[in-house]
Amino acid sequence: MSDVITLAHGSGGRKTSELIAELFKKNLGNEYFTADDAAVMPKPEGRIAMSTDGFIVSPWEFNGGNIGKLSICGTVNDLSCMGAKPLYLTCSYIVEEGFPVEDLEKIAQAMGETCRKAGVKIVAGDTKVAGKGQVDKVFITTAGVGVIADGVNLSGANAKPGDKIIVTGDVGRHGTCILLARDEYGIEADVKSDCAPLWDAVEAVLAVCPEMHVIRDATRGGVGTVLYEICDQSGVGIDINSEAVPVAPEVRGVTGMLGLEPLYLACEGTMVMFCPAEYADKVVEALKQTEHAKGAAVIGEVTAENKGRVVMTTSIGGKTYLPQPGNELLPRIC
Amino acid sequence: MCVGLSAKVISVKDGVAIVDASGAKREVSAELLDDLEPGEYVMVHAGAAIAKITDDDKNETDKLNEEYLK
Amino acid sequence: MSTIEEARSYLENYDGPDFRIMEVCGTHTHEIFRQGIRRILSPKINLISGPGCPVCVTPVSFIDEAVFLALEKGCTITTFGDLVRVPGSKMSLAGARAKGAKIKVVYAPFDAVKIAQENPEEQVVFLSVGFETTTPSDVIAVKKAMNAGLKNFSILTANKTMPGAYEAMGKSCDAFLYPGHVHAITGTQICKDMCDKGVSGVIAGFTGSELLTALAVAVKKFGEGKPFFVNCYPRVVKDEGSPAAVAMVERFMEPCDAEWRGIGTIPMSGMQLRDEYAEFDARKKYSVPDLKPEYKTACRCGDVLQGKITPNQCPLFGKACNPDHPVGACMVSDEGACSAFYMYGGDL
Repeated sequence: MSDVITLAHGSGGRKTSELIAELFKKNLGNEYFTADDAAVMPKPEGRIAMSTDGFIVSPWEFNGGNIGKLSICGTVNDLSCMGAKPLYLTCSYIVEEGFPVEDLEKIAQAMGETCRKAGVKIVAGDTKVAGKGQVDKVFITTAGVGVIADGVNLSGANAKPGDKIIVTGDVGRHGTCILLARDEYGIEADVKSDCAPLWDAVEAVLAVCPEMHVIRDATRGGVGTVLYEICDQSGVGIDINSEAVPVAPEVRGVTGMLGLEPLYLACEGTMVMFCPAEYADKVVEALKQTEHAKGAAVIGEVTAENKGRVVMTTSIGGKTYLPQPGNELLPRIC
Repeated sequence: MCVGLSAKVISVKDGVAIVDASGAKREVSAELLDDLEPGEYVMVHAGAAIAKITDDDKNETDKLNEEYLK
Repeated sequence: MSTIEEARSYLENYDGPDFRIMEVCGTHTHEIFRQGIRRILSPKINLISGPGCPVCVTPVSFIDEAVFLALEKGCTITTFGDLVRVPGSKMSLAGARAKGAKIKVVYAPFDAVKIAQENPEEQVVFLSVGFETTTPSDVIAVKKAMNAGLKNFSILTANKTMPGAYEAMGKSCDAFLYPGHVHAITGTQICKDMCDKGVSGVIAGFTGSELLTALAVAVKKFGEGKPFFVNCYPRVVKDEGSPAAVAMVERFMEPCDAEWRGIGTIPMSGMQLRDEYAEFDARKKYSVPDLKPEYKTACRCGDVLQGKITPNQCPLFGKACNPDHPVGACMVSDEGACSAFYMYGGDL
């Protein structure tokens, strides 16, 4: 096979078949992986959940993962947030002409590994090659199907006053890691992306708390954005304790230098959970037993007051609104 | 006007210091401070070490409390 | 009780005569909101957000000049992130970027010099804003460019100094919460002189406990009835400040009259490059024309900056003017009084 991806790899001809066989099938193959026009699988028992997500992260490789791992975690975690055990994924690549085949293989390897960890199978895929400059190296879209157990009913509209709010780990890692990887601000720090598939964590939580109200993945916009989304959807207020929000020291250092708030930086392996207060301790305990949620912590609770707002109790005992996220994150000196 | 961050000086050479704030390292100008030594803490603003830090905020506020608020 | 608890309880329970204290520094404004300090204070203590956010007081014409350099002269504009969204009379730098202008955000001014070194085919202009704290860093960039013999680097200055503003604002409040990092550079003499003229104040640090303690000290001293000055940030602010920084600025820059957005011109409150460094002065290098800004009349940023009204008393606040569509600069910068008021909630 050649060293770089050419337009011929996306033509649907022999080169495309080669790419599928040597690169994708090798890393992602399973009994359902198809060369036909659609994959055929047995029908799962129960309700199904379906989700899709596009990934365009730049740079495509970062401390703690790459765009391949990310594209699996993203859809696996979206399904998991609905309480759905992820079963099948599809993936669609758009690759820039000239992208090294070796790097595409790295991406496929990471996808294969992550799928095995998360217990999902990629059943169908597509590859298109775009001319030089038409995309930034490689874009991936994944879609997935999962199955929801009876009795599980998760939704962003389910938060109730009195619910405890739990994060599954320290916040803002992925965003900080990408900021560092772009090397625009001359800052060096060892910050690893939290990028990870979290179905096992969700499964563990649902086992101890089937009445869990809300689970949401804190991706773009970070935990702060999730909190505001849930306030809106559930028509409640939220009270969080700023001291209780876990932030890694290096993330604190980098964001401190740039004047950014970790609560708005993306996570890719951290969820926010809302559960009835009596389950909170059990949920945190269960999370801590799983590989990617050892830093789980209760950060606040749902209130009937201050509907639509997130109130933060600060280190000196003051109260303030957490600002509504929205604009482009720009470092500030002032 | 002036987001400042306290950081520890790791090295100083030719008017440039490497500082470390909880594991975040960055090159900053050391030209505004005389005799900067590794191990000292400085306040960093817009890429320059603007002042040496000679105490922590707890000690400082405790002293103020003692002197003015009792 | 810990110091924080003591300071808090003092500020919560204060029942003396009404006390108006102006925080001059935008970072103070931001931290005061972020820490929820306003809601701790007794109703007898009134915090006024003064003119100390360099972005807020940067005139519209400065943004217009930068947009002119980017779009008409094809310069690469390097800037602190704070300025990117500030509205000019026609567009912000973000708007110019959408039209194809090269706008790069840097963390430090000398990073802009690196960009100029690495891209010799580009003309790089750094937007030099800030008060005494930031100006030395801006000047270091010029020095580095000069030592490297760069011909493709210049700065567009809108640097300002605080003393003129203290004079202009002295009557709007009973005391100043002086900006800690400005005085880390300039020292404490000017505050002592202000005290001799009857203007009170305390220098404050930026952590929650430092702000609470400094406010408590100010309230206590106010109760004694005499003009006062206390340096509540001695771990960073020394009496002599940073003579090296002052000398560095002095070598490259000289005072000039400056326009403060919403306040007007304050004599000798700005800093510009000295004539011998004209080749690094973007205004001279590119013969930037005198741009006549179009003011938005209903915006009351000026009154907000002078503490005459609180942000929610402006007719545009939260309606025509919000962080997504800022009309005045106080709404655009995170440190702006209006933005902080809007985001952190003045009504909780």
